[in-house]
Parts: sequence; structure tokens; C-alpha cells
Amino acid sequence: MTTTLILGKRLSFKHIVPFLSGGLAFLVGGIILYAAGVDPLEAYAIIIKGSLGSTRAIADTLVKTISLLIAGLAVAVAFKCKLWNIGAEGQLYMGALGGLLVGIAVVGMIPVVSVILVLIAGIAFGAMFSLVPAVLKVKLGVSEIIVTVLLNFVALLFISYLLHGPIKAPGFLPYSPDIFPESELPILIERTRLHAGLIVAALAAIFVHFLWKSKIGFELKSVGMNISAARYAGMSITKSILITMAISGGLAGLTGAVLLAGVQHRLIEGISPGYGFIAVIIALLGRENALGVCLVAFFFAVLLAGSEAMYRTLGIPVAFAQTLQALVLVFVLIGEVFTRIHLPKRIKRSDEDKTENHGKQIGPPAERGKVE
Amino acid sequence: MSDAGPFFPANSTDDHSAYTPTSPSVPKPSESLSVGTQGDQPVLSMNGITCRFKDVIANKDVHFDLFRGEIHGLLGENGAGKTTLMSVLYGLYKPEAGEIFVKGKRVDIKSPLDAIALGIAMVHQHFLLTPNHTVTENIIVGVKPRERTIFLRTADAEKRILELSKRYGLKIDPKAIVGNLSVGEQQRVEIIKALYRDIDILILDEPTSMLTPVEEKALFSTLSAMVKAGLSIIFITHKLQEVIEASTRVTVLRGGKVVGTVMTAQTTETELARLMIGRTLTGSTGHQQGEIHVGIEKSPNAKASAGHATVLEIKNVFALNNSAVQALKDLSLTVSKGEILGIAGVDGNGQSEMAEIVSGLRKVQSGQVVIDGRDITGMSPKQIREWGLAYIPEDRLNTGLILEYSIAENLILDRWYSRPYSGKIFLNKHEMKRFAEEIVTNFDVRTPSLDIQVRYLSGGNLQKIVLGRELSREHKLIIAHNPTRGLDVGAAEYVHKQLFKQRDSGVGVLLLSLDLDEILLVSDRIAVIYAGRIMGVFDRTTADVDKIGPLMGGYVAEATN
Repeated sequence: MTTTLILGKRLSFKHIVPFLSGGLAFLVGGIILYAAGVDPLEAYAIIIKGSLGSTRAIADTLVKTISLLIAGLAVAVAFKCKLWNIGAEGQLYMGALGGLLVGIAVVGMIPVVSVILVLIAGIAFGAMFSLVPAVLKVKLGVSEIIVTVLLNFVALLFISYLLHGPIKAPGFLPYSPDIFPESELPILIERTRLHAGLIVAALAAIFVHFLWKSKIGFELKSVGMNISAARYAGMSITKSILITMAISGGLAGLTGAVLLAGVQHRLIEGISPGYGFIAVIIALLGRENALGVCLVAFFFAVLLAGSEAMYRTLGIPVAFAQTLQALVLVFVLIGEVFTRIHLPKRIKRSDEDKTENHGKQIGPPAERGKVE
Repeated sequence: MSDAGPFFPANSTDDHSAYTPTSPSVPKPSESLSVGTQGDQPVLSMNGITCRFKDVIANKDVHFDLFRGEIHGLLGENGAGKTTLMSVLYGLYKPEAGEIFVKGKRVDIKSPLDAIALGIAMVHQHFLLTPNHTVTENIIVGVKPRERTIFLRTADAEKRILELSKRYGLKIDPKAIVGNLSVGEQQRVEIIKALYRDIDILILDEPTSMLTPVEEKALFSTLSAMVKAGLSIIFITHKLQEVIEASTRVTVLRGGKVVGTVMTAQTTETELARLMIGRTLTGSTGHQQGEIHVGIEKSPNAKASAGHATVLEIKNVFALNNSAVQALKDLSLTVSKGEILGIAGVDGNGQSEMAEIVSGLRKVQSGQVVIDGRDITGMSPKQIREWGLAYIPEDRLNTGLILEYSIAENLILDRWYSRPYSGKIFLNKHEMKRFAEEIVTNFDVRTPSLDIQVRYLSGGNLQKIVLGRELSREHKLIIAHNPTRGLDVGAAEYVHKQLFKQRDSGVGVLLLSLDLDEILLVSDRIAVIYAGRIMGVFDRTTADVDKIGPLMGGYVAEATN
């Protein structure tokens, strides 16, 4: 059992790393706060109180969780298949645009149907926008990283153009008209901002969780892990890459539509304060699986909501939340190095002989015990 | 499960370490041994080397002496710890215990740089050359020029390379681009690279694995020229014949331990084989001659195949390789039901492309591929597999398996979409597990658990997983591409037995192998491929190295049949 135990240990160590990194990030964050003349303990207490201290605080934190969670899932799906979609922010904006177009056009439906149409439009717009890098990758071998990063600017500037012109509502500010009330996501708890997007986010998490247990998920994952093995086994590479990016972009678009239908009820330039970018960190920290992303998204929402409270009480800029996020990421990356540090020798396969050694096939086969 | 059990086989089979070969000449490792003309002091001596990877012991208390002017064969199965031992010597691994003496002085080798400074160089199995640089540039890289200059002055280096090349019979053009050289030539570059650094000890890791018989001969004569000039050579191999042919002394490793050191002249293949394997073989070893083969049932190929239906027909196929160079030129070939057709050839002559056009992984430019009466040209890999192809790919680590996946996941890689392994939407975990258990039992895969990532399994077990998957599907044709490469003798034997079984049940087998011995041993008919063409097809009974060898090198004149 020694081997399994050791493997087990490595596995759990891997799972502890994000928490350890979080702790260290708070430690270093505390030093920064101290240097700024603030008692770190007090500051952190305010973060907790401001994000979890009352029903309203919790509701606000959950509202933030919704966006971070869906966006995090979007990126996580792509990352799991080794597609580096850094364009969630742009896809999110396009999704919001799609939602808006339906939300201001569809009248007189049952609210549920109307909302669902808005969300579907968001998914469709996000997915279509993410197919641009996917097709370029499949057809021309262009790196999806560069294309997705750059398309963020395209999307944001395009939305900005629309808001200053074609879809601008009457008035001075670059806002779109409001969507019809029946297209809004209903509020779940009265006198809070918590909306039914929470259910959508939960469904998204369940979807991603079960995606990896499904036939199609297995194919997508296999193609991501090892193209040559997947091709050899008869999987379609092109189809898989397109589907993966469409799911990823669709979820990012859904984030935008949920923000639109649940929070703003109209399209504005800053509808997402960079959720699509934070999502990258969330996906990485959440180890690309649904449960992990849920936990990290909530944790980041606490940070965001708490740092707003900290700003109100102590005058520490909200940017401190970003500093903490960045610190967590840095420490996780360092932690990653530590989890991998004893692997290189195993991975190094400059020749077969070594592989064999590591593979415990030492001694004549006849005398090796059989396992279960 | 017990603690040691299956994981520490080396510990549980200690009894062999006490094994002393029958030959009276075998010295104990600690005794000094005078070799030929040299003095008593070994150039190199490794004492009590123990090297461990996590829970696996790769070397245990190994003693190894090397004398000036000897070619010392280091013999052992894959996984016996040969390469590990030499990697310790070359500074790639740090041993847990033990000391190394070079010319009587205790040394601490922390990196290859230290090793080279001590006059030790290693030529790896896979060469470490920059393909788009010239021979000279590859050789001088890392060597400090004598004077300080900004620009490379290669003239002196070239002169010295030519000198070395002449002295040891290593024919090479210093100005040639390495990427254009054959494998044999690249190996010469590697050897000259070592000689250029004024070394005393040269380690060669499986140097013949990619060479033609002719190149092999040339290598051996070079080696003897080198030892005459005072160098010492360590020659890692698992091929008995080579040891007998080339070495002066042999150390045999098994399960990470030295099981004997003998003078080559005073031993036989049989004895070495027994030392190496620790038991008498019951099947094929991949070596044609030698009494160690108690003989596999080479069931008469007449039985199934005589004049029987064709299962694979390749007609006038042209295809490009990945660099858009013509790889297959008008290649035609047939495989019948119930026969093993072996493709002999030097690496890179179109073998990979041939396997790929049959499996649908590569498009043909023109020509036709027919499997069991159906034209499969242009069909997708999935369609071809469903029509009845089992394919054991060349590279099991990167193509045959997904190393991050469990055994069960790897086993459904080709059938994830079909019942009973999955339903309408989801994979059937239960059925996957049952199937994995079945294959693990039937194919004797040794693994601590079914859920473990396969990357932690040995090469032999990985190949068994691939075999289990491929042979468990409905198939009419098997492509086996280097199916025993890197496997130890026992595992190779197992693979061959499976192929025989398939052949006997009426399946056609297309065996592509770089190991000519394997081809000769296993095939019913042998085709030789060179530069994308089939140079000739022989019946096993009429084929031998003398006929095939020249064809593999492209010499047609005398041998067209």
C-alpha cells in the first residue's frame, strides 16, 4: 500500500496548496496593511464582517459569487481541455449584448420564458464570439491565447461604440435602454440584491461537473490532454476544439447575460469589473473542477465585498482586494512548483530504461505479487 | 495487500543475488581483476552504489570496475538498472549511497560537467544534437575556445574532427548539417563529440538499437580502435549477441543488483541469458540464434494462411511525411489472413507513414488502401477501427495512452462512445471498471490499483494495456509498430505470443519493427522497406540477414528476387 499512500499524500498535498497559498497571501497582505498604518487583524475582521456579517452583506457576496462562478467555470472548461481561453471578458460582454437585444425586443411573454430567452441569447453570443479563436486555431493553427486576449479589446470597444451610438438610451450617459421587467432575473430574498442568477450559477456548476462524466466530456478532455492519442483512438480533434471553446464562450456569455438580467438590467460600459480576467485566476486556483471553482469563486467574492467594506470604514482602496488576489495567485504558482518538484525525474523520459525503473518492474515477473 | 508485496519485487527476490555462475572465472566484484594487458588499478570503480526513485530501488549496492582498454558490456533486462547506474556515473542522478573512484581518486560527480571534466562522456540512446547546426558546431558547443574571440573559428575544430574521424574510422563531413545525417552518422557525431573532449571513459547506451547490421559492424570496429588507443568503454545493452561480439568483459545486472561479472571469452550466451533473466526462457527473446530459445511454437504458417484471402492491400500509395517530404513512393503490399508480415527497415524509411495511412491518420496523395475487401482510403480513423483494425502504435507513451488517465479510462479510449462502456450521455463507470478488471486479469497487467494514473506503470505494463485494448476489439487486421521496443525480454515474449495467437486465429498482422532480429523471429513473410518503397518480399524460410541487410541500406543490385 506504500505506493498508493504516497500517491495519496501527493494528491492531498496538491489540494492543500491553494489554502496554504491563501494563508501566506494574507500574511504578506497583512504586512502591506501594517506598512500602510492599518491593523491587519482589524482590516481582515472588517473584510469578514463586511462580506458575511449580515443578510445583506451575504446577499451582496453571493451576487458577486454568481458572476465569478459562471465566468470561472467558463475558463475552467477551456483550461481542462488545454485551451487557453483568456477571452472570457470579451465573451461576457458579447453575451450581455445578446441578452440585451432579446431583453429589449421580447415583450409579453411569461417571465420565466423571457428570462430563459435572454440567457440563451447570452450563451449563443458568447459561444459565437469564442468560435472566432477556435476556428482560427483549427483551420490555421493560430494560438488561441493571443486571439482571445486581443478579442477582449475588440468586444469592449465594440460595446462602447454601440453604447455611444446605435443602442444608446436617451440621456447623457452611455447606457442602453432597460430590458423589459419580465426579462429580469427575479430577486430571491426581498430587500437584498440576491437574484435568481444563483440558481443559474448552481446549474452551470452542476452542468460542468457532469460534463466530465459524460461521453462528450471524455472526448473533449482526451483531446485536450493528448491530441495524438485522441486522434489515434478515433476522436475528432476539430470537433472537440470547437465544442470546448463554444461551451467555454457560452458560459462566459451567460455570465454577461446574468449580470444584465440580474444586476444592471441594462448594458453599461462597466457591466463587468473584470470578472472575465479574475475568472482565469479562479479557474487556475479551483484546479479546473467545478467544486474547486465554486469554493474559489466564493472566496474571491468575499474578498471583493469585504474590501469594499474596508474602503468604507478604513479608507483602504478597493485595489487591495486585487493585491490579495494577486498574492494568492503568486503563492499558488509557487506552491505548484513545490508540488512538481519531485516529479521531474519521473517525467524525464530520455529513454525507456528509466521509465522502467520508476515503474517498479524490477525483478523477474513471475515472482511479483499480483494485485487484487 | 502486504506492504512489500508487488511493489518491492527486487527485495522479495533476493535469492538471485547470491547466484554464482558456473564459470569458475567469475570474480567477486570486490576482488581485483587483471584484464588483458592493463595494470591492476581500475580507471573507474563504483562501490556500493544505491539509487532509489521514491519507493523503487533502481540500484542496490552495485559494485562496478572498469579497466583501461576494455570494452565492458553492461547487460541486463530493461529495468535492471543499467541506465540508472550510468546516469549516476554521468552525474544525472545522485546516488543515495556509494562512492565513485576515478583513477584511484574518490570523486563527487554532481553534473555531466563534472563527469566530462573527469574524462567521462556518455552517448545517449537518443542523440542530443541540434539538427539544424553543422557537425562541427554540434561538436564544439560547450567547449571553451583556447583564445578569447568573439567569432567562432571553426577551421581548427574541423581539422581536429577530421583527424579524429580518420584515426578511429568514423567517417563524417564536419560541414554537414546534422539534420540531414542518418542515424548511424549522427551516432558518429556523438562519439566524436565525446572524443573531442579528451575523454578516457565512454559510455554508450544501447548504441546499436537504431543501426543497420552494416553500421553495427562499423561501430564495433571503431570501438576496438578506441580501446587500442587506451580508452575504456562501457557498453549498455540487452542484446546478448552484441555483448559476445564486442565486449571483453561483461557485468550483468538484474533487479538493480550485480549478479555477475565475467570475461566474455569464458562465457556463453546461454549463461549470460540465465544470469540476466534469472530463469530459463520459454519463448522468444528477440534474438534469433542461441540455444536459450527453448523455441516458441512457431506454429506453421501454412496452417492458416496458405493461399488465403487478403486482409490488407496497399496499392501504389504515395504519401508525404510531416515535413511535406515524399515518404511513401508507390508503395504496394498485401497481408493475408493468418499471417504475420514483418516490415524490416532502418528507422525513418516510411514505416510510420505506412502505419498511418492504413489507420487513417495520414492522407494518401494517391493510391488505395483496402482492408478486407473494403476501400478504406479517405475514411476516418474511427471508421477504419470500426471496420476492424487494431493498432498498436509506435509510441505508446504519447499516442497509445493518455498518461494522466487511469487504466479504465485508457481502455475505453477507442470505444468511449459505444455500449456498454457508455449510455446515451454518460460514461458507464461500472462497466468501465469491470472491463478494466477483465483486461488486467487477462493480460496480466501489474498495477497497485485500477485508479492509478498509468504514468506510474512500467513500459511492459503500459504495453499490456494497449494490447488489451486493441486485441479486445473486433478486428481483422493488426498493425503492430515496434510493439516490443523498450520492453524487457519477458514482456517482449508475451507480446509475441499474443501476436502468434492472433495470427493463428486468422487475423492478419502487419508488424513494423526496427529490430531485425524480431522481424526474423516472428514474421511469416518479410518485406524490406527503404526510402518509402518495398525493396523485396521474402518468405521467412528464405530470408536471412545477408539478404535483407543490403536491401535495408538501399542496395538493390544483387538482391532483387
